[in-house]
Amino acid sequence: MKRYDLIVVGAGPGGSVAAMTAAEAGMEVLLLERSRYPGEKNASGFALSTKAWRDFPFIAELDLPSMRYNRLCVAHFLSPPPEMEERFTISSGPSRRMSYPEARDFFTAGMLRREFDQWVAEKARAAGATLMLESLVTGLRRESGRVAGVVLEGGEEFAAPVVIGADGVLSVTARLSGLRTKWRPDQVISACAVDYAAPRERMDDVVHEAGFQAYFGPGIGGNYLVAYADGLHLGGPGVTNSLVSRLNRSHIKPARELLDTLQAPPTRRLLRALGARPREWQAHLLPWMDRMPTNIHSGGLMLVGDAAGLPEPLYAEGVWQAMYSGRLAAQVARECEEEGDVSAASLARYLERLEESPVGKEFVGGAELRRLFEIMGDPGLSRELTELAVDMTVNLFMSAQEPKAECVARALPLLAENLPLLMEVARIYLPMLLEVEGERLRGYLAAVKGLAALLGGSAGSAWDEGDKAEGGPR
Amino acid sequence: MREKGKRGGEDSRGGDELAVDRFALVEVIPSGRDFVFLDAERCTGCGNCVAICPMDLWRMRGGRAELAEGYREVCVECGSCFIACEAGAVDFTYPPGGTGVAYRYA
Repeated sequence: MKRYDLIVVGAGPGGSVAAMTAAEAGMEVLLLERSRYPGEKNASGFALSTKAWRDFPFIAELDLPSMRYNRLCVAHFLSPPPEMEERFTISSGPSRRMSYPEARDFFTAGMLRREFDQWVAEKARAAGATLMLESLVTGLRRESGRVAGVVLEGGEEFAAPVVIGADGVLSVTARLSGLRTKWRPDQVISACAVDYAAPRERMDDVVHEAGFQAYFGPGIGGNYLVAYADGLHLGGPGVTNSLVSRLNRSHIKPARELLDTLQAPPTRRLLRALGARPREWQAHLLPWMDRMPTNIHSGGLMLVGDAAGLPEPLYAEGVWQAMYSGRLAAQVARECEEEGDVSAASLARYLERLEESPVGKEFVGGAELRRLFEIMGDPGLSRELTELAVDMTVNLFMSAQEPKAECVARALPLLAENLPLLMEVARIYLPMLLEVEGERLRGYLAAVKGLAALLGGSAGSAWDEGDKAEGGPR
Repeated sequence: MREKGKRGGEDSRGGDELAVDRFALVEVIPSGRDFVFLDAERCTGCGNCVAICPMDLWRMRGGRAELAEGYREVCVECGSCFIACEAGAVDFTYPPGGTGVAYRYA
């Protein structure tokens, strides 16, 4: 039986970064992949965010044929079916307030997983890791109760003090280790997508750098468009509507719902303008958690990426999280092996560091972020919010239909009229604000309170209530 | 290997160039081994699997779920049926290494 220092199950971005990190540190690494080449099994609609450029120097070399930089994010708000026409659209370039240069330059780069996963796996191989393809793990080796290697389908065994499970949402290692039997239906979303081919010149002319677009509307819970150099990906039925528990409850068919919403006239006009042709149908589950899972390691085993349930709670972005957790797990594996202790207690530092890392911070306000998508998927609320945005925009900036001063004067009462609706949105953002800026906000409140006292205001009782809530949201 | 485009029409809408035929747009390298398992005794007939399958491979018959016989040639291994079945009647593993769904973008 061959022995390694580390075995990584799954050559997606998480597994390959783990293998690369360990191999660069001098460990002997076995990287196992069940498909014929990395990325073959991965539904795309994939866009890598600038966080990967910030955190991984090797990403600076990334230059793949399918890459298209996204410098314009677009959100379309459609009218209810059967019209499903454009009612309101927001589009924006990157903000100059972001904290690192790439984030001020672009949002994401769209590319095919087929290309990206192979590129990262090649980095791992070049660093010295052994990549074994078409190798399905069906069992775990155990030594004194700890995970100590893997068993392949054919019976072949490999030993290592630590195994990293980077084997995706339906992680075999998570299940075999007993960390998780399966996700609950309210923890995963079922995403379907149509991948289209479109000539590069038309993509350049029509889509250009509007590489990520989302479609909302009554009954459309956030379908998404991701653009590549010579094609695009239309996925859905939106993050909100594709929570498995919700689909179960209402017996909506995700595939049917996506196919129906692809009939929206703006989508069809875009596809015709691009000369697009359907190229592939894909379907995949994604973990969608409102807080960071904590049951992600045991003696000799760490889960990373989707296997650990790390996609963030707003868009379910997961590749950067997989890479980040993969690197961290490899670093922890090396430390613990050097210390000669790969017990669950020793590997617990993986969870601790991950919770404090940017990956963990993405889960701050997780429950509220999920609620935001629920609002956008709710037919009534979604419609009201859209029409409020239309009213504000038209009356403040656009109307040539009525005297301008009268239109502008209409805006403030409109906001007041829609206070209950705006409170729905505030209920999402305020707890998040309190969580990250609690001290500062309480400082402001104290200052205002002091000022009110000086002025002899009557606000006393209201502020006293505020004091009671100062324990914070958690 | 089953070639793309051999079946068709099922999802055609308006019969135009944008019609999406799921079955024609999926490529699967078949294996001789089962990887989705139904324990009919535990099935409560709730229909979750029928609703969730993106390839419509489940149907209800006599109040119980039934998996299409040829599922191994079209299943995209999403595992939705496994997660959606709250009765624990569906189990999902993976097809053998090197087989199953292949996304080629071609």
